[in-house]
Amino acid sequence: MKEKLVFLGLALIVMLSPVMSPPARAQAQGPDCAGGQEVTITFMNWWGATREPLMNQVIANFNEICPNITVVNAVQSWDGREQLVATAVASNEPPNLIMTSRTETYQFAYQGLIEPIGSFVEASGIDPWSIFYESEIGNQVFDGELYTMPLPTAGGISGLYLYNKEMFRQAGLDPDDPPETWQELEAATAAMTELDAFGIAKLGANILLVNDLSSSFVYWLYTNDGQLYSDDGRTVLFNSPQGVETLEWMVNFVNEYSDGLEAVRDFMAGAPDLTTADFPLFNELLAIEFVNVSAFGHLENTDPEMWADPEMWGVALRPYNADNPNAKSAGVSGLAFSWGYTIPVNQPQETKDAAYAFLEFLATAVDGGCYFLFEQGRPSPVMACNEDPAYYDANPYWDVVLESLEIDVSVSITPVQGQINDILSRAVEEAFYGADAQTVLDRAAEEAQALLDEFWSES
Amino acid sequence: MASVQKREIAPSVSVTQPARKRQRWIGYLFILPWFVSMIWFDAIPFGMNLYLGMTDYSVGPIEQANWIGLENFERMLDDDLFRQSLANTIYYIVFSVPLTLILAFSIALLLNTRIRFLGLFRTVYYIPSIIPVVAASIIFLWMFNARAGAINQILYAIGIDPIRWLTNPDYTKITLVIISLWGFGAQMIVFLAALQGIPEQLYEAVAIDGGGLRARLRHIVIPLMTPTIFFNLLVGLIASFQVFTTAYIILGPNGGPLQSGLFYMMHTYNNAFRYFEMGYASAMSFVLFLIILAFTLLMIWTSNRWVYYGDE
Repeated sequence: MKEKLVFLGLALIVMLSPVMSPPARAQAQGPDCAGGQEVTITFMNWWGATREPLMNQVIANFNEICPNITVVNAVQSWDGREQLVATAVASNEPPNLIMTSRTETYQFAYQGLIEPIGSFVEASGIDPWSIFYESEIGNQVFDGELYTMPLPTAGGISGLYLYNKEMFRQAGLDPDDPPETWQELEAATAAMTELDAFGIAKLGANILLVNDLSSSFVYWLYTNDGQLYSDDGRTVLFNSPQGVETLEWMVNFVNEYSDGLEAVRDFMAGAPDLTTADFPLFNELLAIEFVNVSAFGHLENTDPEMWADPEMWGVALRPYNADNPNAKSAGVSGLAFSWGYTIPVNQPQETKDAAYAFLEFLATAVDGGCYFLFEQGRPSPVMACNEDPAYYDANPYWDVVLESLEIDVSVSITPVQGQINDILSRAVEEAFYGADAQTVLDRAAEEAQALLDEFWSES
Repeated sequence: MASVQKREIAPSVSVTQPARKRQRWIGYLFILPWFVSMIWFDAIPFGMNLYLGMTDYSVGPIEQANWIGLENFERMLDDDLFRQSLANTIYYIVFSVPLTLILAFSIALLLNTRIRFLGLFRTVYYIPSIIPVVAASIIFLWMFNARAGAINQILYAIGIDPIRWLTNPDYTKITLVIISLWGFGAQMIVFLAALQGIPEQLYEAVAIDGGGLRARLRHIVIPLMTPTIFFNLLVGLIASFQVFTTAYIILGPNGGPLQSGLFYMMHTYNNAFRYFEMGYASAMSFVLFLIILAFTLLMIWTSNRWVYYGDE
């Protein structure tokens, strides 16, 4: 018996020894480049592939100003991203600066896991509202507090499409007159789509994000004068007549001109995105693809020959419903991605100071975020950066890109947006499999409204 | 004689007590690492999971979790995706587990013969089970691609129309069952080891009685293999209830078209890491534990009717 008690005591000591060890702490720091003291911060982000060397250069540029702050560029794989972010931000020793989507920023802010940066901004003396586009900085505010600064733009995600001019020529269409309306898009797609025994051999236009039907629907909804929520974000509006019309149009388009949802999914499954040389747009198998502004950097790196020749590719605004007199081209800002860089609360003040110093440089400096995005040919959320005339040399369709930013509409979201996205995706998918559009949207609206009501009642 | 025995006994008793004590301590020291790891990585997480399943825990400090009792469990009754994910999982188990068992047993029987290059065949059939699941899943993703995949190309070449393996909701689960057969190697090795433990004399007895291969299989092999079959069946069942990685990679977090491939663990994962409903996900995990436990106990209870251990 005595031996067993001693054994259990020994086991207890072994088990508790990690808990009793004091955690490592950074040295004491102060403001302004963390007071000049040596400090190391870990920057957890997903800027991999061709963006990693650009970010390393940004860090090097930062170190010319703050040589005492070492920034570890901890680039992560996209696999299991949500799990990684959730466990990282909740851990006792999280990364000092974490790249989060807007939904995640709001969720973590709601849980009190990340630091509001208002006091840091005030101490620094900058005015984010005069630096950034209003919708861009507004997307990083939750419950009246600013939690991060944006990079890249939340806008420019859905208002544009890329098209292959050669496929237009082959189909007898004018490559300099791309579709501006839903109806023109239908005609162009019908002219360029070819089928074979395996399904789609060539696709005129892919109007879907095949694995994100919720966002696909919302992006088209706004080109039909529809809305996802009311302006205060408390009332669901996507089951309006405009929403039903939009969903019915999407279903009819895909069934009539693309051989159905399964055929489109199979066609697009072969090459996931523009970072692969197999992407059908590069191989004259896909004429029109709705992209976000990261596409320019991917195009430049994946098919430099195509990028260098504006006669091979073009950019236009997302088509709108010409049958609706109130409809116009529009993009949606802040629904997907809308990246920010958040500072977890579980860390010493000195590393928070250092993390903010790097965040401010990354988001606002000319040789920080401006450089990072310019090298990718994509716009910046900083107004002054986009006025650089060098952009017009870098991207032949820069005026169209700026126009798409101007037509972006910022949507209000809450921390429960992830669940609402899935609810809406299921509803849209059921419509593609024959369910009535009004019925599925009404059911989804009811579920989504219940989630919103519960969230707002607890806030 | 008795006095001699007593003299012999008394000294040995005083010598063995310290030795036994030392042996006990050595034993405790040997099991100490396992015991500590069992407490840290099994018992404590299990207890925490049960506690969190009765809270509204989201993410962050556990102190922020509020006790809500059985609300999470009641919520499952109204959750359509809970029912759908459970139904999908049971469908998968009903086909995957027996098919894997039959395949592994059949291959083990074939490999339990004296043929040339036997070692090579055993290696070849075992290798798939040690290939990382993620890598294998990505390969299968390409093989089942409706346009460029090898499977449809072969089917088309022999006059069968291409099948939408991963985009047609009627085919997604069947596809995942087929993929699950890839990992039969581990069970095959266990069967093979058990087959090699069957005494040759029993086969000779069958031969003497005029029985052929079929009689050997029916009257010797299968009865003596029932403990191994039971073991592999139980292990396969427990693993199949937790199917996740392959389905997640091939179909995505929502389980493919119309959530036809949304399995129980994927729905748990979505609630935990995409919706930040950690409390509800913990409750779901505990329910899965109870389901697996119930099936395990049922199998153990019925095993005495069909499992032969040889010493009965």
